[in-house]
Amino acid sequence: MDSILVRHKWEPYVWLLPSIVLMTTFVIFPIMIVFKLAFSEISKAGIVGGFVGLQNFIDAVKAPAFGPVMINTFIWVISVVGLSTLIGFIMAMVLNQDFHGRKIARSIVVFPWATSLVIQASIWNYIIKFEYGNLNNVLLNLGIIKEAINWRATYQIEFMWECGVGIFVTIPFVTFCVLSGLQSIDAAYYEAATVDGANFWQKLRNVTIPLVMPSLTVSTVLNIIYVFNSFPIIYTITKGAPANKTDTLITYLYMLAFYDQKKGPATALSVIGFTILCFVSGIYMMITMKKEDA
Amino acid sequence: MKKVSSADVMGKNRKALILAAVMVVLAIILMSLPAYEFGATLLTKRSGNTFVGDERYVKAMDEVNAAADEFRQQGFEVEISEQVTERVNSKGEKTSMVAFSVDSTTRYSAWDFLGAGLPSTKVLVLILVCIAGSLALAAAGARGAMDVQHYSLNGRARNLRNAACWLAFAALALVPVFAMVNTHTFSRQITLFAGGMGGEGTAELVERIGAFLYGDAVSGDLGDLLSGVTYRTTWSLWALIPVLFALLCGLIMLLKGELVSVLSRGAMYLFIIGMSILILYPFYVMFITGFRSNAETTDMYFLHMLPTQWIWSNMKDIIGRGVLRYLMNSIFLSVGATTIAMLCGIPAAYAMARMKFKGKNIFLGFVIMSQMFSPVVLLVGISQLMNTLKLNDSIIGLMLINAAFNQAFAIWLLRGTFLSISSEMEQAACIDGCNTVEALIRILLPMAAPGIVTTLIFVFINAWNEYTISTVLISTPANKPITVGITQFSSFNMIEWQYLFASALLATIPVVILFMCIEKHLAAGLTSGGVKG
Repeated sequence: MDSILVRHKWEPYVWLLPSIVLMTTFVIFPIMIVFKLAFSEISKAGIVGGFVGLQNFIDAVKAPAFGPVMINTFIWVISVVGLSTLIGFIMAMVLNQDFHGRKIARSIVVFPWATSLVIQASIWNYIIKFEYGNLNNVLLNLGIIKEAINWRATYQIEFMWECGVGIFVTIPFVTFCVLSGLQSIDAAYYEAATVDGANFWQKLRNVTIPLVMPSLTVSTVLNIIYVFNSFPIIYTITKGAPANKTDTLITYLYMLAFYDQKKGPATALSVIGFTILCFVSGIYMMITMKKEDA
Repeated sequence: MKKVSSADVMGKNRKALILAAVMVVLAIILMSLPAYEFGATLLTKRSGNTFVGDERYVKAMDEVNAAADEFRQQGFEVEISEQVTERVNSKGEKTSMVAFSVDSTTRYSAWDFLGAGLPSTKVLVLILVCIAGSLALAAAGARGAMDVQHYSLNGRARNLRNAACWLAFAALALVPVFAMVNTHTFSRQITLFAGGMGGEGTAELVERIGAFLYGDAVSGDLGDLLSGVTYRTTWSLWALIPVLFALLCGLIMLLKGELVSVLSRGAMYLFIIGMSILILYPFYVMFITGFRSNAETTDMYFLHMLPTQWIWSNMKDIIGRGVLRYLMNSIFLSVGATTIAMLCGIPAAYAMARMKFKGKNIFLGFVIMSQMFSPVVLLVGISQLMNTLKLNDSIIGLMLINAAFNQAFAIWLLRGTFLSISSEMEQAACIDGCNTVEALIRILLPMAAPGIVTTLIFVFINAWNEYTISTVLISTPANKPITVGITQFSSFNMIEWQYLFASALLATIPVVILFMCIEKHLAAGLTSGGVKG
């Protein structure tokens, strides 16, 4: 391992201290509060009562919306993370090439980031309106479609649009993570591979992918977490309507906590979500750490 | 390089030219086949209380047949169809209604459009010019240089062949344009005309469409008649695309001697252009909608792609409603959160990447864990905590929370960057008596600049985007960041789209400009970081 001389045994901990203090105060404490609430009785007015065991969990799981919401969450995470990673990787590969207008293209790719999710979601909400949306406007005026199309005919289609917007706003993140990984690859590897007569796919498989893997790992782990926790897109476009059919776990529990004033089941759900994420990331972390050791 | 005989080159070039010529011929054949098929109901006749075969039925059928004959004489291809609806009336008697309709089907080849004077006529002429021009230029470029390898062509031959390629590409790209212009003419213009919404020239255009489709055969209300017209594009028009693509391939062969690299490069450019359009599209929507009048944002007829009148006073209106204040709050919030996150994150990442200590893996796990819970999930906990710390409803509180929730991300990314840089120089510096702080600031940070800038951008954007915590924590309007501030324009039953997007525009422009600056810095940093030594 590349490590440098450290004069005192305690020195690394001093370096870590600010970070630990910050995270403990603003992340760990709230987590503890939420865990405590999940097992407590909470009145509609928000007054915390005594320990009620698993009652909040039972209430949360028994609600009719729970099953569909979990399925939605699964579809949401898999489709958004999977597709945005794939497209972002391709984009990064392309942007790493030499071509006319590369600088402009690279600036354009970061554009979706420059807008906040609420704004992006509001814009797409307007774009796909049936009665006056901009997509129909543009397609009709360009002569691509014959008559206005109802882009959000059913809630399933609306949910697909939400996934699409999720992918759209996640691509820049992946692209930049992979791109910074690609640019740190020494050109000598490619030269050596070319001398050995490797074709494009062989170079991709044996040089590019192994060397970008650390960047890709970071982006994928964080993507899973961010996408799972994503709130504004669904909240802006459908608000989970109709009847929680387009909700994911996060928007559902927000509604439970702040609209329906059921803070007990809501905190129980957040503990459930936390457990799922721990499981997913735990597996991923093990793979990553194994690779780093090897 | 391998020696290629001039006879080989000649054969190759000849093949390419023949391919191009054959494709041009094929294209002309395809254009003579029907490109569009129009269907219209010329006449409908309903006959009530009849039964198939009875007196009334026969009478109605005779009338319909007579009318159909008349249409046939005028040169229409017509078909008669009948539809019988049976039902039982209130007295319990069975009755039925027969509806006859005379439908015409007309097919038009591309050549028919040439004399039609429709908007697509111009496109068609352009396509023809491009096809003919490309073949002519290719032939001119090949003349006298058939046996010359493509890389030793003289300037004139190369330029001619190059121009031929571009013309063929233009012809290829214009085929979908032709179809789009036709769709616009036959659907959109007629809808607008029938709804009385057409602008100047629509009436004239509809007249021409009528003349094109029916000649003088049909009188009556053109709008009514045309809005019943159905049409479809036949395969022969779409078949032009592969044919013209083959033509383009032939000409590329003539210019470059090979295809794969040119085509893959072309595909790359198409991908980039397509993605750029997709990425910029929402910004176009935000921009034009922000300057529209209220009526135009919810225009059911989809009249204009651009605002007819640019309403600059939208900006004045939103500033009057506090948007500038929200913007300042957002900037303050994001800068503060980024600074705190970096000041805490860089030392931690440095220790993680460069030092050995007990509990390193535990801390790594802790870093990932801290990102598990979304701020949304923690809202109840956070608001309680902030109440205790007396930081609720303040931007400082938001700043700290944003910094804390971006810690894990910053550490992950910075650690990755630090690990990708060899520690040799720092080790050498340490041996020379440099301490760890100096090693970090003097050696590692400059080399890690690209990664640091990337991290910085991410944290800044995350803080800028943050919406959920702010919604719940901030109740005083003066403390709202822009993401929360703009939601005042979209209430439950009415959304003021023009104000929403005008303020979104104000929120976006500063960040975009900032990004452009950083992007340059990023590119420079990356290239200098790539040079070893």
